Amino acid sequence: MSEEEAYEFVKGTLEEEGIVPFHDDELETVKSIENCINCGLCINHCPVVASVGLDRFSGPRSIAVQLTRSPPEYWATADTIYLCTGCGTCREVCPKNVDIPEIVNIVRARIFKTRRDLVPKGLFGVHETLTDYRTAFEPWDDVEEKEASRDMRIERLGLKFVPDRIKDEADVLFYPGCQAEERAQEVREAGKMILEHFGINYTLLEEFNCCGLPARLMGDDETARSLAADLRRKVKALGVSQVVTTCAGCTSSLNDIARRDEWGVPVYHMVEYLVHEVGLDGVRSALKARSDGVLKVTVHDPCHLIRHTSRQTMQDALALLDAVPGVEIVPSGVSDSCCGGGGLVAYHAKDVASAVTQENVGGITHTEAERVVTPCPLCTAQIEASLFRDGSSIEVDDLSVFIAQRLVME
Amino acid sequence: MTKTDYDVIVIGGGSTGTAVARDCAMRGLSTLLLERDDIASATVGTCAGMISSGLKYMEEPDIVDMCSAEVVHFNHIARHIIAKDPILTPMLEMSDLSTGGNFAEEYSKRAAERDVPPVLFLTPEDSLEIEPMLNPEIIASMYFEEFFIDPFRLCLLQALDAQRHGADVKTYTEVTDILLEKGAVRGVKVFDRTTGETSEFISSTIVNATGPWAHKIAALAEAPLELRLNKGAHVILDRRVVNVGIVTKAVDGRMIYLFPHENTVLLGTTALDTWEDPDTLTASHDEIEYLIKSMEWVVPSIRDARIIRTMEGVRPLIATWKVPEDDVTRGYEIVDHKTDGVAGLFSFTGGKLVMCRHMAEAVTDLVCEKLGIESECRTDKEPLPGNEDDVDVLALAEEYGISQHTVERMRARRGTETRDILALTRDHPSWKSTICTCEPVIEAEVRYSLRNEFPQTINDLRRRLRVGTGPCQGTFCTYKVAAILAEEKELDSSVANLELLNYLAERWKGKRPSMRGQQLAQEEVVQGLYACVANLDRVVVNYEPGPWEEDA
Repeated sequence: MSEEEAYEFVKGTLEEEGIVPFHDDELETVKSIENCINCGLCINHCPVVASVGLDRFSGPRSIAVQLTRSPPEYWATADTIYLCTGCGTCREVCPKNVDIPEIVNIVRARIFKTRRDLVPKGLFGVHETLTDYRTAFEPWDDVEEKEASRDMRIERLGLKFVPDRIKDEADVLFYPGCQAEERAQEVREAGKMILEHFGINYTLLEEFNCCGLPARLMGDDETARSLAADLRRKVKALGVSQVVTTCAGCTSSLNDIARRDEWGVPVYHMVEYLVHEVGLDGVRSALKARSDGVLKVTVHDPCHLIRHTSRQTMQDALALLDAVPGVEIVPSGVSDSCCGGGGLVAYHAKDVASAVTQENVGGITHTEAERVVTPCPLCTAQIEASLFRDGSSIEVDDLSVFIAQRLVME
Repeated sequence: MTKTDYDVIVIGGGSTGTAVARDCAMRGLSTLLLERDDIASATVGTCAGMISSGLKYMEEPDIVDMCSAEVVHFNHIARHIIAKDPILTPMLEMSDLSTGGNFAEEYSKRAAERDVPPVLFLTPEDSLEIEPMLNPEIIASMYFEEFFIDPFRLCLLQALDAQRHGADVKTYTEVTDILLEKGAVRGVKVFDRTTGETSEFISSTIVNATGPWAHKIAALAEAPLELRLNKGAHVILDRRVVNVGIVTKAVDGRMIYLFPHENTVLLGTTALDTWEDPDTLTASHDEIEYLIKSMEWVVPSIRDARIIRTMEGVRPLIATWKVPEDDVTRGYEIVDHKTDGVAGLFSFTGGKLVMCRHMAEAVTDLVCEKLGIESECRTDKEPLPGNEDDVDVLALAEEYGISQHTVERMRARRGTETRDILALTRDHPSWKSTICTCEPVIEAEVRYSLRNEFPQTINDLRRRLRVGTGPCQGTFCTYKVAAILAEEKELDSSVANLELLNYLAERWKGKRPSMRGQQLAQEEVVQGLYACVANLDRVVVNYEPGPWEEDA
């Protein structure tokens, strides 16, 4: 047997045994799991365990000491591992820095590859969309309808229409993310308004594609890597020196792939960009109150910012809100609790996602806040829906929209 | 009335003894199996579980033939407790190939019958794709496949199957003397370690399958027997850090390995002539360093891996002297002590895990011949308990509302018995609760084992269920298991506490030699839980520390 044939044969055996070799860039995560001392601190902080109990989701500890120890058995973890929302709370409270959210992705990737029949059925819709259209949401059939929807949102929220800018030799790439591209178009419009307002030399992608995060979360490593490669190629071709996004998930995902694939370009969330690149003083002088009186606002911290990027991002968000005249920030006590929208859980286990959001709903409705603001269109949608179901009249705004609404217009 | 007369008495509850008891019972002999501790509590419990195709004994073609045939038999009778490991032998220089030539040829000759490929050769690039932990400097690697069995379950299943065929199995029953009459054995005198009572069992045929103690048992009958005792250490990692098994040359040119086993990885083994007491042996610093240093060349990050414990066992090699251990035959011998003036006593020397069924068949043939019984061996044909049928893990998980992984782990231990254990939760829904978080093990399986598999201690439950064998080494399951044991066996709290402490001490025996890195943090949790919270170090009064424990 030639060496090539031998390799093919061995790959066949590994597949039969359910072994998908770890990649080089996964070894660090695998190594971190070895540090678990089974102390159980994570179980007491896991929002999924708190909401649905250990019988339904055995929790981050079990992921470390039980479910991830033997690759040939990864297939059998499908009923548990897909219930993790990937919020990262476990990793944050862990005294040994065990990287549970990452190992969850690594295990899902193996299930997806070897036992696709065990991947929750609810994920195949988004999988199809990702492979067919390279974005997480199916594009609109009719561009005019899409524009009409955009215009309606702009009007309702009091935003100004700014034509798309796609140009060479821009300094900044504005990357709104799938949610803002196809669904929450107001966030994309708000992002453009803000960048325009501060005179940033930015561009959008001529042909948008997903950063790959949803593919990664469902375990489709191949699509995730191919989307990431596409994006890298586009960023390199544009020659921009910075990337700015309004989406929390994209912020952490783009940071991860930019580091892994050596983009050599920093990625910022809009709040970071405004505070650190534009400067808080400049932002403050550009903002005005929207109406008389004080608006009581509570915030929600997206997991992908505070736990997957940096807690500093929410300090920036609070500083921005503080710079807006006529806004009073009311703490909810649950601002850093997962909204339930993570890990694609809402796609296949709505009961679990809703149970997790309940924690937020309770905390938010107990405040005197009239508005929830969060720097993530996905959290916005998740919390908005939950508050609505709960009969609450509290509205939810994406932070970029909230800022754009209060820009001083000439 | 207790039965005292048997056709045959088998001494030793390891892989060989249980296999002999099974074979004898299946052939209709009234059989008694005596074990002074628990089933699989010594040599076999410290092995890697490899049912080897004979890769280390390619110079002995007959033995390789036998091993290969035995692998086929095991895959027929016990496939539910067997897994296949793909194995790489990475080479850093051409001289690493020197042992490869003959091996590749001999291995490949017999590969087809085991349904595995012949030895294959892989490029360095492909090898690194399969195993990124390898040293990128490798020049090539050899690939082959071997099968691994759960040695504890194998022995227990053989013992249970012997029982099903009418044998009596007595653990914690130590043979203190062999009764002789007119140049022949008449029976044995035993000491019951649980009750402290002595008694006698009568038989004209005794099979001495006591491994490294065989010479001591023979001596009870004043029969001479020589063994070359050779100890070996394994280092156990917390999880499968490698995708495949790795075999490499050690510092002294011997071959050592890194084998995924169950949900751990075993690094082994050493081979040192020994005159120490097999009961109190622990791995030495030198052995641990020898293994790590040797593996480090091909898996550079191995030193940073998390070691959870070590284990040390003694090989009862056939007494061949003035040659290196590697040159001693891996075959076995049956010594008929008739020539020593002790008729009816048969002793084993040598042997390997993979040969245990073959050894049993051979000695049972002799026993039958002696007793004038004509009966055919069926141990290679009839499945061991649990291997009768396939198990639908997904359907059972759904039916009982238990996680798939929990059911799959149970299946890997239990096969078809999984159904009986899960059925217990119909009447006792609370028995679905997790006792051991690492393996995992649910309460129903602990209760089932206590009621059907004659464990006496928490350590016996560990052999049957793998409780306490994970990364945390019994941090959270020990007190839960102790509580169930106390309830099932109606132990009072002082006995239960002593039992708990004895088990923690037993774990300590294997943990202490390699204690380093992350396991130190883990040990802090254990100490905090059992000493600071449970006050065990204060409340247990009649505890005697083991020889491996340091003075307080």
